[in-house]
Amino acid sequence: MTTHRHMAAAGLAVAAALVLAGCSGSSGGAGDAEAEPADSGEVTWWGWTPDTPVAERYIEEFNKEYPDIEITYKNFENVDYRTTITPALDSGEGPDVFDLSPAGGSPDLWGPYAIDLAPLAEETLGSDWQSKLGDGYVEQLTDSEGRFVSLPLGGMAAGFLWINQDILDEAGAEVPTDYDSWVATCEKVTAIGKTCFTMGAGGEDTFPTEMYHAIANSVDPDFFIEAATGQAAWDDPAGVETLQIIQDMKDDGIIATNALDGTQYPLANEEFMKGDAAMVQMGFWYTQYSGAESCKAAMEAAGVSDPTCFVQMPAAFPDVAGKGNGSAYFGEADYGLAINADSPNIGAAKTFVQWMTMSETGQQNVANALDLLPALQGVTPDWDTIELVDTEVQRPAIEQLISESAAAGQSRQWQTSETTLDMIVLAIQQILDPTIDKSVEDIAAEMQAGAEPTDIGLD
Amino acid sequence: MTVTAPPELRPVGSLDETRAGGRTRRKPASRLIPGGFVWILPGLIISVGLIYYSIVYSGYLSFFDWAGGRSRMIPVGFDNYVEALTNPVFWTAVRNTVIYFVAVFVVQVLGGVLFSAAMHSKILFANVYKVIIIIPVVVAPATLAPAHLQVWQTNGTFNQILESIGFGFLVQGWLGQSTTSLLVVTLVGCWGSIGFGFILYFAGMAQIDPEMLEAARIDGAGNLRILFSIVLPNLKPITISLAILNFITALKLFDNVWLITQGGPAHSSEFLGTMIYAETAGSSRNLGYAAALSVILMLIAVVTSVVIQSRSRERVANSEELPRV
Repeated sequence: MTTHRHMAAAGLAVAAALVLAGCSGSSGGAGDAEAEPADSGEVTWWGWTPDTPVAERYIEEFNKEYPDIEITYKNFENVDYRTTITPALDSGEGPDVFDLSPAGGSPDLWGPYAIDLAPLAEETLGSDWQSKLGDGYVEQLTDSEGRFVSLPLGGMAAGFLWINQDILDEAGAEVPTDYDSWVATCEKVTAIGKTCFTMGAGGEDTFPTEMYHAIANSVDPDFFIEAATGQAAWDDPAGVETLQIIQDMKDDGIIATNALDGTQYPLANEEFMKGDAAMVQMGFWYTQYSGAESCKAAMEAAGVSDPTCFVQMPAAFPDVAGKGNGSAYFGEADYGLAINADSPNIGAAKTFVQWMTMSETGQQNVANALDLLPALQGVTPDWDTIELVDTEVQRPAIEQLISESAAAGQSRQWQTSETTLDMIVLAIQQILDPTIDKSVEDIAAEMQAGAEPTDIGLD
Repeated sequence: MTVTAPPELRPVGSLDETRAGGRTRRKPASRLIPGGFVWILPGLIISVGLIYYSIVYSGYLSFFDWAGGRSRMIPVGFDNYVEALTNPVFWTAVRNTVIYFVAVFVVQVLGGVLFSAAMHSKILFANVYKVIIIIPVVVAPATLAPAHLQVWQTNGTFNQILESIGFGFLVQGWLGQSTTSLLVVTLVGCWGSIGFGFILYFAGMAQIDPEMLEAARIDGAGNLRILFSIVLPNLKPITISLAILNFITALKLFDNVWLITQGGPAHSSEFLGTMIYAETAGSSRNLGYAAALSVILMLIAVVTSVVIQSRSRERVANSEELPRV
């Protein structure tokens, strides 16, 4: 009896040990990186973007050409994606296809899990394949070992404002073009009980760095990238002037008093989408909410029941430094699709990625979603299939935005380390926090001390 | 009647060692193992495997600079610990932890005792009050966070109340100021902790011998005298347990802080938990640094718990040595 008892317990112990061994992960089954694109199979795709309805539209169009390939898309919040994807890929149970962006050293972090996509790109687009994709996208999605780990789905740009034209019309205000006109516009907007410029600079999001970048471009168009890459210091006169302008924007009522209450998402996004704020600084991805249907979905997501869409317009960031520099846009590849090297479905995954990123049909879908700038050169939105809230007013503005965004000469975050982005956010929070008593010069000096320059993109 | 304990329940080393023929006869080692040990072995292996293996692995990781996954692990010796201990944000987090612990513990004890004493009195709708007190304990922080944000944001409920009662000069951005963000997090913590203190104290008070209370009343003690001289001394073990639990909670605090302030603005409401999360979930993640912070957190938790426990035992021992008057 005792022997049986001990044997049973030993059996349980062995089972427990096996459970632990199972928990410790495995190297996964190695996929065949050389596999030819296949016409059938099942593919799982994980990403933080696009939103699920947009992804479903992409997949629906893909299945019209490849009905025997089943795509399952799983969308994550940004932070959840980062914490989920690594253990999933490590365990060998990761998705077949996953989003991979140029930001924060992602090509080096997750690139080792992905196959080299250069051969697929060359096979599809020819020997001059690099020139057929967005300017700089290939370099941005290549890891430090020279492997092209993610085929760009599209690019994005930032450094401009989105305006609720209905609020400006109601307030009798104009779209601001410089600092003084911005102050005047905000006085009129706040007089009708609306927020003028909403932003969420609290928390750890790096969205506020875009405002810093836009203002810095108005002060000195070269300063931001030079400081990010160690060729200038953040506490140089241009850096101090940039922070001083942020301080003035707070004091003069351009930046709302609740800016530190939360992060850009959800605080600023919801305030703008509810129609409570006249302006917000968001990137190209916000273009999608100009659509007659997508704006309703965005407003409902912000908590508006039975929404009536407002006319949303892009506008250049005002020349706040008043030096005639304007404020140049900055952009880069937003994200690309990587294929898991351990995937057992590399053939079908290649077909999907190839179609999404390098076929005219796939890229036309991307262009028509107004979410990204298509990665494939020469593809533009098919306006006959796109319904805007006010096509006559919005279409010319969006076409101009697309043209200027595609020509953006500066990177958004690719050349800036995450540590530096964090220091910029910290500096902005210290400027906006009314209970912190530090000079702008001291804050700029702290920023310089904590920043980590990169040598990314330097020849 | 003589009751004989089964052999496996007998104390090891007393009856198991018998003398036979003038020689000490040792029983096989397996007989020295407590009877139920083999049955807890699977659970023990899992817990040791999952918990202690993770702790040891974290200790190992803390000596590397590593972004996770297949990125290179660069040995850095004690650099992560040096970086943590020289980082002003770390000390802000430690300071915040102490402030949070003291404030929440005091409010929990006072609130718990007062509500428990009130509920042991004969009051109307006592069960309704109990539910109201306990609800904050059982609702998930993620569910309540939007409500707290609504209360404390610049155009939120609290500022509206201040305006409406003529205290408009106090209106401010409670979440967006370094001087008030920790206050908000602490108040939210206090609000959620009273119910837990109430549960323990209410049960503890029910265990106090009614004859003791009756004797005190016969001796002329009033309610307050009974509370301070009889009830509270009997609840001391609960108070010590709450102190330890609260300190560990403060050390591990993450959910409410992340959901309400994300440790900001400018790291003013940072805690060790949020620092560790930011290092593991941020795109510039350094799991080695996060592991070093975790090891420091664990050491603080263990040392503090041991100190609180041993100090409380010393006091109990000392009080037992006092001559009765």
